[in-house]
Amino acid sequence: MQGFYDWFAAAARAGMLPASFEYAFVIRGILAVLLVAPLLGGLSHLVVARRLAFFSSALGHAALTGLTLGLLMGEPINSAYGGIVGFCLLTAVAMVFVRRHSSLPPDTLIGVFLSLTLGLGICLLVAVTKRFNIHQIESVMFGSLLTVTDRDLLLLLLASLGIGAVLIRHYNELLLDSTVPTLGRLAGNRAVFLEYLFVVLLTMAIVVSLKIIGALLVESLVVVPAAAARNLSWSVRSYLLISILVALTACLLGLFLSTQWLVPTGGAIVLSIAALFFVTMAVGALRAR
Amino acid sequence: MTATDSAPADPIIRIDGLRVRRGREEVLRDISLQVARGGCHCLVGPNGAGKSTLLAAILGFLPFGGRIRLFWRGNQRLGYVPQRAAVDTSVPLTALEFLALQRIRRPVFLGISRRVRRHMLELLESGGLATLADTPIAGLSGGELQRLLFLNAVDPRPELLLLDEPTSGLDVAAREAFEQLLAGLLREHELTVFMVSHDPAQVQRLADRVTLLDRAIVADGAPGEVLGEVRAGYALLPPRGRG
Repeated sequence: MQGFYDWFAAAARAGMLPASFEYAFVIRGILAVLLVAPLLGGLSHLVVARRLAFFSSALGHAALTGLTLGLLMGEPINSAYGGIVGFCLLTAVAMVFVRRHSSLPPDTLIGVFLSLTLGLGICLLVAVTKRFNIHQIESVMFGSLLTVTDRDLLLLLLASLGIGAVLIRHYNELLLDSTVPTLGRLAGNRAVFLEYLFVVLLTMAIVVSLKIIGALLVESLVVVPAAAARNLSWSVRSYLLISILVALTACLLGLFLSTQWLVPTGGAIVLSIAALFFVTMAVGALRAR
Repeated sequence: MTATDSAPADPIIRIDGLRVRRGREEVLRDISLQVARGGCHCLVGPNGAGKSTLLAAILGFLPFGGRIRLFWRGNQRLGYVPQRAAVDTSVPLTALEFLALQRIRRPVFLGISRRVRRHMLELLESGGLATLADTPIAGLSGGELQRLLFLNAVDPRPELLLLDEPTSGLDVAAREAFEQLLAGLLREHELTVFMVSHDPAQVQRLADRVTLLDRAIVADGAPGEVLGEVRAGYALLPPRGRG
């Protein structure tokens, strides 16, 4: 990969590209958002259709707890994937299981899990900060380009391909199950399987995106693109494509702002995507007149 | 006037001793019923009587005690028209995309082949919805959405069609359009319709046989007889808990 980065650096020094392309971390950041935006933006319309916005927020918080657990078990600060994946998957599956077996409203149950994981994470964070610099932890909480490695990019690429392949295989079933569950069941779709399958895919997508967007802000990229796209879309195809376009635009804009003004990448992306949401809302309102 | 008094000789559905519990509550108790092959059998009863639960049991959507048997002869296809309220219209699916979801394996966002599109346009045409093919389902009126659900259920033609309050909340024109579709299908094809309805006039117009349900079977027989029972003491619309 070094030759790849060197080529961009040479082009930047020759004035063919913006000066910031001289730095490998900027190139890695661009590659990362080019993978993260279609992945999370593409998933977002299914997240909204399946009413999993709050669920995604709880998963982001669980990632923070997973990070602290991973670090306490001896994982390196820059790739504590074992702790994050393990704890997020456990939390996701537990939330679905309890939701399926309880008569309480789903958001109430998710609120219970969110409190539980966040409380545990904060308690463990005290122990972790004795061994690690809080700024290193912050990079996972809020996202940072500086910590993205080639290995992270490879993981992101493989996860995106895997999640995309499974989604394509089950897309119509997932959408029918979200729209008219009874017809899905009649068609032979396994509602329970689909519910667990989707939360596992969503969990994996969130986990591999954490370094870019951050644990506390990841919810925005799995909810807001679809919310913005809903203001403009006229079919499922347009819903998906606009969701991805909104996520991509927000990620690239956020990346640009974060490198220009040295603010956390996650925060800059979230601000960009929120701005795009209001733009689409205004455009949608004007079109409806 | 019970199910066993005049049981049809050639049933397509036979239910024996059906019991359904929801928690500690017994939603259906000791239901024994036969639905004759061909024609329209309506299920009536007050709100909370267990009509939709009975359909859900036939569809295999919930656990139950007793036995439900379906006697197939043709294509063994079961069509189902759910209540409109069961459709989440927040996703901007067009009418065509909605039909495609159950008819193609390729994800609908990748597009619909010309052959399938043509078939679905013909289907929409048969229900007077061809001009709304590219309209999101949220933009359809109640009657149009109900017709879309109906068209979805009858393609390919089912041997048995279950409908759950298909005209509830519709205006007169939409109800008539729906009834014409159903009557046309019954005339032209050999199928059995088992329908939940709240509308005595509609039941009178469409049904060959009627069952009055209130957690157990209250009456089962010819429409005139059962609707007489309804008029005598059973209001279909008020909620349960009357004295």
